[in-house]
Amino acid sequence: MATPQQQERFQALIEEHKKILYKICNTYCRNRDDREDLAQEILVQLWRSFGAFDARCRFSTWMYRIALNVAISYCRRESVRARHVLSGDERLLNISEEATNPAEELLLLHQFIDRQDPLNKALLLLYLDGNSYQEIAEVLGISQTNVATKISRLKQTMKQDFGD
Amino acid sequence: MDLDALQAKWAEQDRKLDASLRLNRQLLKITYLNRAQSALQRLALGLGLEAAIQLVVVVALGSFLYDHIAEIRFALPAIGLDVFAIVILISLIRQMTLALQLDYGKPVAAIQRQLEALRMLRIRYIQGIFLTATLAWTPMLIVMLKGFLGLDIYRILNKMDHGIAWLVGNLLLGLAIIPLALWLSRRYSDRIKRSRLLRKFMRDLAGYNLNAAADFLSTLSAFEQDAEA
Repeated sequence: MATPQQQERFQALIEEHKKILYKICNTYCRNRDDREDLAQEILVQLWRSFGAFDARCRFSTWMYRIALNVAISYCRRESVRARHVLSGDERLLNISEEATNPAEELLLLHQFIDRQDPLNKALLLLYLDGNSYQEIAEVLGISQTNVATKISRLKQTMKQDFGD
Repeated sequence: MDLDALQAKWAEQDRKLDASLRLNRQLLKITYLNRAQSALQRLALGLGLEAAIQLVVVVALGSFLYDHIAEIRFALPAIGLDVFAIVILISLIRQMTLALQLDYGKPVAAIQRQLEALRMLRIRYIQGIFLTATLAWTPMLIVMLKGFLGLDIYRILNKMDHGIAWLVGNLLLGLAIIPLALWLSRRYSDRIKRSRLLRKFMRDLAGYNLNAAADFLSTLSAFEQDAEA
């Protein structure tokens, strides 16, 4: 049973890193209802795994791993999911219009990300969020050389797709 | 467009997000989180229940076999059914173990590999159960009539015209249903649009989902080994 201190600590950490949650949900789901379902699944998984979280590790790395694992599985699942939706007016992520109207270049970037498979989506997201190759390798479980090769390939593909 | 240049714009959008993103704290309340169960937890619970029922079936069949070991006409179908039930039980335990061993905090490639292995095992299990069930129902009829009602179906059928032929016919029909079920599921798996569950079942049966899982595993392998190529 979780103590109130653990609950508070969990809530504070999630609040601090909520952007990871938002960006992953947004990258993997187009539909708003799906985004909310995914966000809730990620939160549930984070909370269930929180007991095993090693405080010596970075919370963001741990959160990325769990959130990406849940998101990739969520997108690949075809079966009907039992819905655990809370009351209609409660929305997990409320974002102002200004923040959701990115510039044209960013829109193209989102389209480019959309076209990638779930694993490359994760890689791009981690790279764009400013994680080092070592951190990306840790989250994804591949070598740093592999990360570098993939990033370089994605840069080339992007240049080919959009030109300079 | 340059990915590195876009990194800066991405960060700028991030800052805007930070200011406007409000996480609904109500949803973060632990009571809600505790109430909600993840899909895997539900799967593990379901598998546990299935395994418990299956264990009862294995023991009951074993007991029937012990009582009728000298009567080959009853022992043979009971052995077949018991082997079938044991295979199901082993598969259920394997699925349950895989589901419970998953730690989402481990690296993405490793967990996705484990998840896909579980998915493939589950699909093969559904295919196996459904396709073998058509063959199992005749021995099941023999064993259940004897076990529950004390009736000897061979004697009943002997009194009827073509009684034994009917029994053999049923076995052959069971065999014939397998390719027919595969053909039907391949033909109609995408047309059944109303129920996602039914659609998934049909696609599992037809092997489409198994192929998708295998494809994803090869993508994953390529993703992991890219730099070595």
